[in-house]
Amino acid sequence: MSSSLSRIGAIARTTFIELARLRVFYVLVLFALVLIISSSFIARISFQQELQVTRDIALGAINFFLSMLAIVATAQLLPRDLEDRVVYSVLAKPVRRFEYMMGKFFGVLGLLIISLVAMSILCLAVIHLREGSAVRETMQQMTQSPPEEQERALTALHQAGVNQDLVFALALTLTKAAILASATLCISSFATSNIFTISAMAMVYLVGHLEAVARDYWLHQHAAGWGIRAFLAIVVLFFPDLQAFNLSDQIIAGGSLSALALTKLLGLGAVYIVGYLVIGIAIFGQREL
Amino acid sequence: MTEPAIRISEISKVFPTPFRRRRIVALQHLDLEIAPGEIYGLLGPNGSGKSTTLKIILGLIQPTRGNVHVFGRDNSTVAVRRDIGFLPENAYFHKFLTGTETLRFHARLSGLESRESKSRIAELLETVGLTRAADARLGTYSKGMLQRIGLAQALIHRPKILVLDEPTAAVDPAGSRDIQNLIASLKKTGTTILLSSHLLTQVQEVCDRVGILHRGKLIREGRLEDLLAIENQTEFIVENATPEFLDQLERQIASVNGRMVLRRKPQTSLEQLFLKVTETPDE
Amino acid sequence: MKLLLALIVILAGFVPAKLKMESACQQSQPAALSLDLREKIGQSAFVAVLGGFGSVIADLLFIDAYSAWERTDWTQLLLRLRQATELQPRSILFWEMAGWHMAWNAGTAALEDESKSPATRRRLQSEYLKLGEDFLVRGVAHNPEKPQLYEALARLYRDKFHDHARAAENFEKASHLPGHASYDERFSAYELSYCEGREREAYDRLRALYQRGQKERLPRLINQLRAMEERLNLPANKRIP
Repeated sequence: MSSSLSRIGAIARTTFIELARLRVFYVLVLFALVLIISSSFIARISFQQELQVTRDIALGAINFFLSMLAIVATAQLLPRDLEDRVVYSVLAKPVRRFEYMMGKFFGVLGLLIISLVAMSILCLAVIHLREGSAVRETMQQMTQSPPEEQERALTALHQAGVNQDLVFALALTLTKAAILASATLCISSFATSNIFTISAMAMVYLVGHLEAVARDYWLHQHAAGWGIRAFLAIVVLFFPDLQAFNLSDQIIAGGSLSALALTKLLGLGAVYIVGYLVIGIAIFGQREL
Repeated sequence: MTEPAIRISEISKVFPTPFRRRRIVALQHLDLEIAPGEIYGLLGPNGSGKSTTLKIILGLIQPTRGNVHVFGRDNSTVAVRRDIGFLPENAYFHKFLTGTETLRFHARLSGLESRESKSRIAELLETVGLTRAADARLGTYSKGMLQRIGLAQALIHRPKILVLDEPTAAVDPAGSRDIQNLIASLKKTGTTILLSSHLLTQVQEVCDRVGILHRGKLIREGRLEDLLAIENQTEFIVENATPEFLDQLERQIASVNGRMVLRRKPQTSLEQLFLKVTETPDE
Repeated sequence: MKLLLALIVILAGFVPAKLKMESACQQSQPAALSLDLREKIGQSAFVAVLGGFGSVIADLLFIDAYSAWERTDWTQLLLRLRQATELQPRSILFWEMAGWHMAWNAGTAALEDESKSPATRRRLQSEYLKLGEDFLVRGVAHNPEKPQLYEALARLYRDKFHDHARAAENFEKASHLPGHASYDERFSAYELSYCEGREREAYDRLRALYQRGQKERLPRLINQLRAMEERLNLPANKRIP
């Protein structure tokens, strides 16, 4: 058991080093650029708006970059190992195939966590600075206003600033990226090229955002023809509901998320991740190398 | 009788080709036994089924029929692979890792304690002559160095059996000589070695026994000297003999109904010549 | 074959767990169920294409709406506001600003446009008022739990439509929601007091507020309460001191 964990750890660590040395972190530089450029042309609206826009852009960019990173980084892992024959020397050691797959997944997860932390620190720092200045300026402008209105303005500002919801949103962004990584690993367990994996994942990404609508329609409307229903069934049965994790859409508006709802969403994420990993491992276990 | 190190019984392998009726038969009814401590060479042209055989032994692919036993145990159990070290054909390994990191990674996969692995890594780097390149990334290694680091990773857990797939292909003569020397020194430690190759001279120099695969069938097998000996001929190499004596010898042979097939100056092989003129201390 | 069996077993476990967790998560989300499916698909398709960037694009569109307003380009403003709210329907700010731009800014500009006849001006203004109302009503449908949009709607009915009944109704709805302004109940009662035939109801509400103590006894409340006592012809002993 412990030696199994140690093998998974060794593969995860090497996978992480592989990705880190491939300089996928350049994505983070791109992220910083987006954040800096975007904050320069939103200076003219109200403080709350300015804060909200900065936050939207930061969360949106984190969400997008982390998802792309999850797909692109994971998609090349197995093809590269096959091409460089690493998979042979690794699996010729007393390593089980599921240990190999789990190691790959945790390696990507490590990369995603580090990237998320780096982007979050940058994003929280920017939002925090803007929030501070927004609060100061608002107070200066509202010295004449009744205390109740000042209170409301401040509440609105804090809702748009750094708070618990923002942290929840970041946690869900990571969950979504982890789901995408596990689905990518699942597809690359039978794919023969990473082009195929990436194209398939682009479809999963798009359809996954529509899964909730498809599910609603599949469960509650029975009028459609069998062709459409079959299509919907495939979407509903196999695709993840990615939109559920785009909480930035809900949280941005200051609509807060309860701890219970967060727990449920994390549970849903765990179901997807475990499901895709188990399928991937089953397929890879039978694959002729 | 001792248990064979590797016993392959009645193995067949058929690869289905998707979307086509045709199927590729890679191996047909292959039987093979390798004794402990033996060096066995599996020969054959490209596509004859050598790599498939090795991959089946390692459990990387499943045979369509038949089974493989390693020291009497079925090879589908993971524990069997503790006894086997494998050098894949044309392996590049993780290009982004250094030599030391590569060995440490494989040591952890083999379940070595970190203290033990440290000394083992230093020892192996010494053995394969890569101590000075230990902290360079594999991406900068030459083909020969890659094969040597590959050999080191295959040996990291002191396996009883070493499986080498084309160990000297695409390596220059000096590199391939180094690898041959390593194989020879491993034989002294009692390691069983199974290697595949299409470079016959190298096989000839190190192997005790060879098998020749052709289109998935083992068409010839046996001890090297038995296979190569030409029963009705004899070869002797003489030093400092005068031409007159040699002419006399030739006449004598003719007088007893023998036939002189060839008379010539023995030649050094091109490889020997190459090694002699390029010989410089490597590291 | 073995793989196929394994996959069937795995999927038999995965699919029910997936559907169960998905429906559990859906219940805990404040879903906008009142929307019709076409609107929902339109929105989701947008979001899907943009991935995580939906809200960012919405912000950019909203910023563009702001500059359209500065140029007083009302058509462009309307278009941008529609796109921004479509992409980011959970932003209260967007709906609130959209309603305000249409009813107050565009509406007033139309009314003061001297190049048109007075009748045309009034017709245009009422069209913009309708657009403002439409934004706020849709905003409420997307965010039924947010008091700000009810408040905005109430102000619109009060100041622009002079529809006191609906203003009172919306202030009241807002007053039941967490995070509402403390004046919501008062304003609702004031508006009710302008509604013919609902004097008794208005009086009861004002009186109840009065009874809560000094904090609610603002000059306007007392004035309004006195006016109601007058209209209802209450005996002196029932009136406030």
